[in-house]
Amino acid sequence: MANKRKRSKPQGPRPGAAAPAAPAESRQARRAEARKTEREDAPVKPAPRFELVREPVFWFGFEVSWAKLALARFVIFTLLAIDALLQLSHAPRYGAGGFNVAQLPGLDALGAGRIGFELGQLACAYLFIYAALGVATRVVVPASAAIYAWLYFGSQLDSYQHHYLVALVLLLACFIPWQRREEAEPETPIRTWAVRLILVQLGIMYLWAAISKMSPAWLDGRTITGQITGPLRAVIEDTVGFKAAARFTVLAELVLAVVVWIRPAWFIALPLGVAFHVGILASGLEIGLFAYLMLAFYVFVIPDRAVVWAANLAPLRAVRAGLRAVRIENTIPSAIALAVCLGLGLLLARFTRFHAGFDLAIVLTAFPILAVTVARLRGRLSVIPWLGLAHVLALALWLVIDRTSSLAVDYYRFWGGNARRLGEPAVAELAYRRLTEIAPDLPNGHYQLGRLLLDGEDEEAGLEELREAQRLEPLRARAWLAEAQWLVKKGRKAEAIEKAQEAVYSEPTNQTARDLLDSLTGTKSTPPQGAAPASDDDTDQP
Amino acid sequence: MTSGIQRLLRETARVTKLSALMSTWQGRFIAVFVIAQLLLPLHYYLARKDPHDERFAWRMFSPMRMARCVPSVAIDDRPVNLGSEFHEAWLEIAARGRFSVLEAMGAALCAKHPKAEVRLSIQCTYLDREPQSYGGYDMCTVPYL
Repeated sequence: MANKRKRSKPQGPRPGAAAPAAPAESRQARRAEARKTEREDAPVKPAPRFELVREPVFWFGFEVSWAKLALARFVIFTLLAIDALLQLSHAPRYGAGGFNVAQLPGLDALGAGRIGFELGQLACAYLFIYAALGVATRVVVPASAAIYAWLYFGSQLDSYQHHYLVALVLLLACFIPWQRREEAEPETPIRTWAVRLILVQLGIMYLWAAISKMSPAWLDGRTITGQITGPLRAVIEDTVGFKAAARFTVLAELVLAVVVWIRPAWFIALPLGVAFHVGILASGLEIGLFAYLMLAFYVFVIPDRAVVWAANLAPLRAVRAGLRAVRIENTIPSAIALAVCLGLGLLLARFTRFHAGFDLAIVLTAFPILAVTVARLRGRLSVIPWLGLAHVLALALWLVIDRTSSLAVDYYRFWGGNARRLGEPAVAELAYRRLTEIAPDLPNGHYQLGRLLLDGEDEEAGLEELREAQRLEPLRARAWLAEAQWLVKKGRKAEAIEKAQEAVYSEPTNQTARDLLDSLTGTKSTPPQGAAPASDDDTDQP
Repeated sequence: MTSGIQRLLRETARVTKLSALMSTWQGRFIAVFVIAQLLLPLHYYLARKDPHDERFAWRMFSPMRMARCVPSVAIDDRPVNLGSEFHEAWLEIAARGRFSVLEAMGAALCAKHPKAEVRLSIQCTYLDREPQSYGGYDMCTVPYL
């Protein structure tokens, strides 16, 4: 609109403007003339836009500043990306034993299996990073919402309420204009009914959560006594007591149900909601990143002027200006930049230890290429560096989370353990072999693989694995015990006694080891075959 | 205080412009979404036969979450170790007494052991009510708890 106005602006002197005056004589007069000329030459400021707001204004007139929307986008989607990756250790439970119960009747067969769940969560994490950076949000938000919904509704395995909330919020997030408009500045108001709907959804959630607690078992503090374990437990015990804490919880939820979606009441919602969820964080409840995610939603109720003020601080202004300057519109440098990013992304993915991580990364490499192609066809060239950067950062997050957590180790440990318990030794062997490859210094993989191989045909390899486990966990009896029991089965009693003694030396408190040694040396009458089997423990801790 | 209440009433009045709301697809979406979210949890209180199944009802950390159930299964009167049949994550859900999962377990065992009698039962203890037992009959004949 402003451009149109500029184009239609007459090029000659303005109608009614004064004719050019004769050159001024004095210095003061010349300065005044220069100022006047400057004013006249200055571009015409666009008139404030008065758009008609559709009724009901409550929904369609709801606005948040661009700075707040961008902050919420970054915080929420980054947390969701991390959460998606942290779910990966749950993958082996999906499809295990061919059993599944979906959230909705009739969808059991559509639920994800182990590989499907892993690929889905990795893809979600990848797409969430794009969304966090505001890249291709019209594609990545609906795509990630669809994948998340498939994973959630396809199985009751991870059916906590917060998964349901995330599925709903992602659906609503598809209707939020996350991508920055060309002219948007931190204070630019962005009209979005979907953000209002997310806040109303939070209000509804708090309301029903409060209603569910209106029972004697909650109000007298019995329920909360059995649930809270963290540092908050001692604080409550030493101060208000569990009964008062339980009643305050209901009151807080009722208040939040009303104030979280009404802008004039945000001054209550913000401190109360943040304190409430920080309290939940300190309560030791096993809810993963849910409390953090709830805190992230409270970005929406921070006063706009505070976020705009922060966004206009000099360092952030400089960062913004720098980021906007990154535009490579020439074809060859664009192609080189993208190729470097794609190559770097694949390199990062190569070092991740997730089962299907690298294969998926290869497939995902097509996404920025496709997006760039579409962007070029639509004449948008400045997106190329952002697509490349988002690709690299998304895969870098995979690597960082993998290498700073036990996710990959847990994945193979759980996979092997499930398969072993459900009577699939070949699958268990595959999982434990991979576990020993990615974590050769952890004894559990060697121990379990050794037991499996001794039960199979490759006894020599099994013994080697057990001995590696014995070397890696010198203070644990289980690997010595497993070898001793195998020797008993083979009728090699003298060697079995020797290994049983090693088992007792390494872990004198292990009753199974002592029983076996006693039975082998004749101290006890129990036959050696009757001794308890070696530990089935899947952990690496003594 | 009075101005706060007035503001609340004003906000509520602004929400209820239903005819205007229903004139666009976005408005219809909002209406359906809000009504569904307000009413869906009612299903738990009014219609759901399984008190342990708190999904879609926003019953976070409710007293029912503290219920503990012990499922037991016998095939032709021989006890079955569920740990060798189902993943432990499913057993954890079964230990919370969720009927839909237990019924699916019964159905899976019936399919695996055709012509056999699969008796499934759960004994549950609660924080706020007396212990209760469910099932105990052949799930292949009556597949619901």
